[in-house]
Amino acid sequence: MRKSLVALTLAAAAVPMLIGVAGLPRPGDGSAPAHTHVVARYIAEGAQETGAGNLVTGVLLNYRAFDTFGEVMVIFAALAAVMAVLMPAAPSRPAGTPGNGTGGLQVSPVVAFIVRLTAPFIAIFGAFVIFKGHVSPGGGFQGGVILGALLMLLSVVMGRGMQAPLVPVRLARWLQASAPLAFAGVACLGLALTGTLLGYPAAPEMALVRELMMIVLELGIGIGGAAIILGLFLAMRGD
Amino acid sequence: MSQLFDLVMLALLISMALAVARSKDLVAAAIIFSGYSLVMCLLWQHRGAPDVAMTEAAIGAGVTTILVLVAIGRTCRREK
Repeated sequence: MRKSLVALTLAAAAVPMLIGVAGLPRPGDGSAPAHTHVVARYIAEGAQETGAGNLVTGVLLNYRAFDTFGEVMVIFAALAAVMAVLMPAAPSRPAGTPGNGTGGLQVSPVVAFIVRLTAPFIAIFGAFVIFKGHVSPGGGFQGGVILGALLMLLSVVMGRGMQAPLVPVRLARWLQASAPLAFAGVACLGLALTGTLLGYPAAPEMALVRELMMIVLELGIGIGGAAIILGLFLAMRGD
Repeated sequence: MSQLFDLVMLALLISMALAVARSKDLVAAAIIFSGYSLVMCLLWQHRGAPDVAMTEAAIGAGVTTILVLVAIGRTCRREK
């Protein structure tokens, strides 16, 4: 009875969804609505207007900068929520008995060695992805996540945690907020230079300023992303 | 050839999703889900979205899996 009810509900949900999918334009169809409005202009003039060789970054940081601002706020809010829920319960063992910082995990020496061996390469790659983000695939989000994953690995292997944090807790809070802060800074700079929030100066001789603003955003997103991922991991591990 | 690749990958995705849903061992489910993200990452790359592919590989296959494993470590491993 219950199973047939579930199957019926699933079918009832699936039919309209499949009808909707069948009504979508074919991939790559030039006359699809998604390709006929603003996208044509993005593709034709995006590289010129934004100075970003990678159109995805151009859209993310210029045309849709406010959306990206919202996105980094969401990520920051997610960390704040995790901390609000988990942090009070963090000292899971009585004070004065320091844990080994691995959350009860026994790390094999082979894994530890491999992580230490590859760590510098991962770090370089993360930085490369952040800085090359405006000319090739990648950018602040991707590079930040790579760096964050590296920090997670290292905190497992090196036994760093809440007891022996990599940076002081107060500094870590600022690093975790660096993406919204970078956006706020660039938004105010844009206000001062062009009169609109997050506006980029359009004059050709301001190309360097434009580039710098994008690099600040990428760096902020990257550092903030890495710090937030490490913060999520440490808050959840809670040792 | 390109169609065949898509079909194989999509079939893999569906079978992995079913395996995740059916698995009672949550660690196994988490690892299969990480594999799901890797296949998804290949698909993104194949559809010409390298930015999304990178994010999928790093967040979907890497960070999410570790966070899920940490959560399992703080609760219990087997689904009741």
